[in-house]
Amino acid sequence: MVSTKTPSQLVINGLLNENPIFRLALSMCPAVGISTTVMNGLMLGIAVLFVQVCSSCTIALVKDYIHPRIRIPTYTLTIATWVTVIDLVLSAYAPVAYKAMGIFIKLIVAFAIITMRLEVFACKNTVGKSFWDGIGMGLGFMFGMVTLGFIRELLGMGTLLGHDVLGFRPLLFFALPLAGFFCVGFMMAVFNYVELVFNRMKKKAG
Amino acid sequence: MRDILRITIGLTISCLIAALIMGSVFTVTDKAKKHNEHMDIQNTMLGLLGYSKTHPAPAELSLHPVYRYIIDDKGTKFLGYMVPAKKAGKEMYELLLLDLAGTLKQTYDLQITPDTAVEITERETAIRQVIKPPTVFTYADSFIVAMLGKKRLAYLIPGEFPGFKTFVRVMLALDPSFTVKGLDILEQEEDPGLGGEIVRDYFKNQFIGKTYDKLKSLKVVKKPLPEEYRQYLEREKQKKGMFTEEQLENIRKKYRDSDIYALTGATISSQSVTTGIKTMVKKFAYRTRRLDQVIAQQHIPVSF
Repeated sequence: MVSTKTPSQLVINGLLNENPIFRLALSMCPAVGISTTVMNGLMLGIAVLFVQVCSSCTIALVKDYIHPRIRIPTYTLTIATWVTVIDLVLSAYAPVAYKAMGIFIKLIVAFAIITMRLEVFACKNTVGKSFWDGIGMGLGFMFGMVTLGFIRELLGMGTLLGHDVLGFRPLLFFALPLAGFFCVGFMMAVFNYVELVFNRMKKKAG
Repeated sequence: MRDILRITIGLTISCLIAALIMGSVFTVTDKAKKHNEHMDIQNTMLGLLGYSKTHPAPAELSLHPVYRYIIDDKGTKFLGYMVPAKKAGKEMYELLLLDLAGTLKQTYDLQITPDTAVEITERETAIRQVIKPPTVFTYADSFIVAMLGKKRLAYLIPGEFPGFKTFVRVMLALDPSFTVKGLDILEQEEDPGLGGEIVRDYFKNQFIGKTYDKLKSLKVVKKPLPEEYRQYLEREKQKKGMFTEEQLENIRKKYRDSDIYALTGATISSQSVTTGIKTMVKKFAYRTRRLDQVIAQQHIPVSF
C-alpha cells in the first residue's frame, strides 16, 4: 500500500497516531529498561532516530532488488550495518558523544520498531516518503522515551537531567523496570482518552 | 530450484556488501578509535592523581607500566613481571621470573621499549624470543607506577570484579603505603538509579583516604549518609568556598575510619564494590612487596 501522506502528516503520524511506544506498543523492553532518566531516554531516542532514518532510506532505495523471500534477513543486515557504522564513526570522531550514547547504539540491532517500519512502510514507498516516515517514527520514539524518563526520574529519584529538583526521592519504586510498565500503561490510557475526546469533538463538528 | 539459487545468491551478495561497508569503515576509523581509548585511559589516570585541565600535570611526572604474566613450565607455575629498566641510557623492558614463593629465578632482557609495549601482540613477540615452547605464558594484569621526579607518587591499578549484574571495571589509585588515593568506575551495567549510583562521587569518594589497615576490616553499613559528609564527598561539583580548610580537615578526620555507607536500594552493588576493592588492594600489596624485595636485593635498575 503506497502512502499518500505529505511529509508533515507522516511526522505527526509517527509522533501521535502511530506513536511506537504508546500506540503500536513496539520495542517495549528497551523502553521500559532504559527510560529511567530523561537523559537516557533522549540518548536512546537520538540513536533510534538516526538508525531508523538511515535504514528506511537504504531499504527504500534497494527495495526493487530484494527477493521477497529474504526481505527480513536483509532488513536485519541493513540495521546491523548501520548500527556498526554509526558506532565506529562515533567512537572515532566524537568520543564525547560516544561516551554518552555508546551503550545505547549497540542495543538497537534488535529493535522491533525499526524492522516493522521497514516491512510496513519503507519497502513500499519512495526514498523521500521513507525518510519522513523514519523521522516521524524516530521522533515519536524519542518523545515517548523522554516522557517516560521525565515521569520516572522525577518520581523515582527527585531529579531532572541530573539536577536535584525535589530534594528528596518520592518513590524509589519508579526507578525499577516494573514501574516502566505502569508508566507505559498510564500514558497509553492518556493517548486513548485524548483520541476519544478528539473523535467526539469531530463528530459534533461534523 | 531456480528460486533457491536466487535466494542464496541474493543473501550472499547482501552479506558481502554489508561486510564490505563494515570492513572499510573499521579500517578507516580504527586508528582514531584506539587513539581515543588511549587518551581516555590517560586522562582517567591523570584525574585520579589529581591533575586536570585547570591543574595540569608537572613535567617531571612519569608513568611506568608493569605487566604481569603467568608462566607455566611443564606444570610448574612462575610469575613473570615485565618491568621497565634503564640500560645504557635507554629504557627497555626486563622480564623477572619469580617462583610462587617470591624468589627470583631468572631475568631476561626483552627487546621492547615502553612505547611499543602498550600493544599486547608486541609484548607477546618480545617474550616469545626469550621463553621458548613448550613453556607457555598468559597475560594476567598490569599496573602503573606514577613517579614524580625520583619519588614514587602512586600506583594505578586497573581491575575488574563482579558487581550485582555483570563485571564492574575500575581504576584504583594507591599511594606508596597502599592508602586509597582515588577510585574511578570505568564500566558498569548496574541498575540505573540504584546500583548505577556507584559511579557518583558521594559513593566512590568514600574510599578515598582509607588506609591499608582500615581496608582490611572495611564493612558496608546500611545507614543513611550524613548530609555534611555527602557535601564533603561531592565538594568538587559544588561551588568553591562552601567549606573552609578547617572544616574540610575536621570532616576528613571524623569520617576517616568510618565504614562505607551503602547506596539506598543497592546494598549488593555497594557490597560487591567494597569487597572488590578490598581484594584488589590486598593482592596488589602482597605482590608489590614481594616484587620490591626482589628488585632491592638484586639491584635491578628499574625506572621506578
